[in-house]
Amino acid sequence: MLVEEWRLLDTGLRDAFYNMALDEAIAIARSRNIVPNTIRFFRWEPSAVSIGYFQSMEEEVDVEACNRMGIDYVRRRTGGGAVYHDRDGELTYSLIVSESHPLISRDFQKTYEILCSSLVRGLRLLGIPAEFKPINDIVVGGKKISGNAQTRGMGVVHQHGTILRDVNPKLMFTVLKVPSEKIRDKMIKSVEERVTSIKSFLGRDVSFEELKRALIRGFEEALNIKLVPEEVTDFEEELALKLKAEKYSTREWNFKR
Amino acid sequence: MLRAEYKVEGGKLIKVQLKKEDDKIGFIRITGDFFMHPEDLIEDFENALLGCPINEDAIIKVIKDFINERKVTLLGATPEDFAKCIIKAGGNVG
Repeated sequence: MLVEEWRLLDTGLRDAFYNMALDEAIAIARSRNIVPNTIRFFRWEPSAVSIGYFQSMEEEVDVEACNRMGIDYVRRRTGGGAVYHDRDGELTYSLIVSESHPLISRDFQKTYEILCSSLVRGLRLLGIPAEFKPINDIVVGGKKISGNAQTRGMGVVHQHGTILRDVNPKLMFTVLKVPSEKIRDKMIKSVEERVTSIKSFLGRDVSFEELKRALIRGFEEALNIKLVPEEVTDFEEELALKLKAEKYSTREWNFKR
Repeated sequence: MLRAEYKVEGGKLIKVQLKKEDDKIGFIRITGDFFMHPEDLIEDFENALLGCPINEDAIIKVIKDFINERKVTLLGATPEDFAKCIIKAGGNVG
């Protein structure tokens, strides 16, 4: 049987505004049938905080601390919670697929489970007994190792998510708002209990290259596809730069709630 | 401004900012880490609640009607959860 080919993009280290803009640009390009279904890997430079579509920047993010530390902050086009994206600690992926694809259920929860099964499979290849945990998490030993968020529009499903290679709860709560200084230590402790990373679970560093190789296999096997490395198209690049300038880097978007 | 937070079973958090006018919703801002699709209907969702009496059944009805009419999908929070958070905010001293 002929295996369906999807495009694989690896856009490396980019800033938060471009990263979020390119995701939307790919979704738009996919909706116009200019590009195939796509998996994208990316990282964040500088490190950044992203907040969910419905969150308030002021409520979730210590903007002054971010400014001081040179950390970007951006609103996502997807719902869900605030995430600290560490330059060296985290790999992010996006999956952009036509809504009419057989993998896509009308049920959001079901679709999370199907798409996340690729990450579960990839992590297991690394020896990590990962499991999907509804609504949108992947856990190992009950601790979160990956968070995911999905949106749909224009006939396209866009899911993106994080995989933690290494985690630093202290830094996480320097950039995220805490209700009071008094409970900061408590929250750091609680994150240490609830969140894990590849490094803390395996007790060794897994390089980004090794992690990506495992995830590529995970996507290919779980979704029964073949990933073909390609480049971002000119259409997507130009649109991403426009969306970055006119949307994702603007105060109007980032502070709109 | 009246404020409340409501932790949904399963982990999502709803936050409400509210102003009352004659015991009705005069202003409302709903934030949080829930999922609502399509996302850009959130402002319409808030506007649909304006003028609604701060009463659990009335709020649930407005939300359910909005969801049906606008074909909204909620994930991680139910109409009942939003209503509870709004009632909680309505009872808080601003």
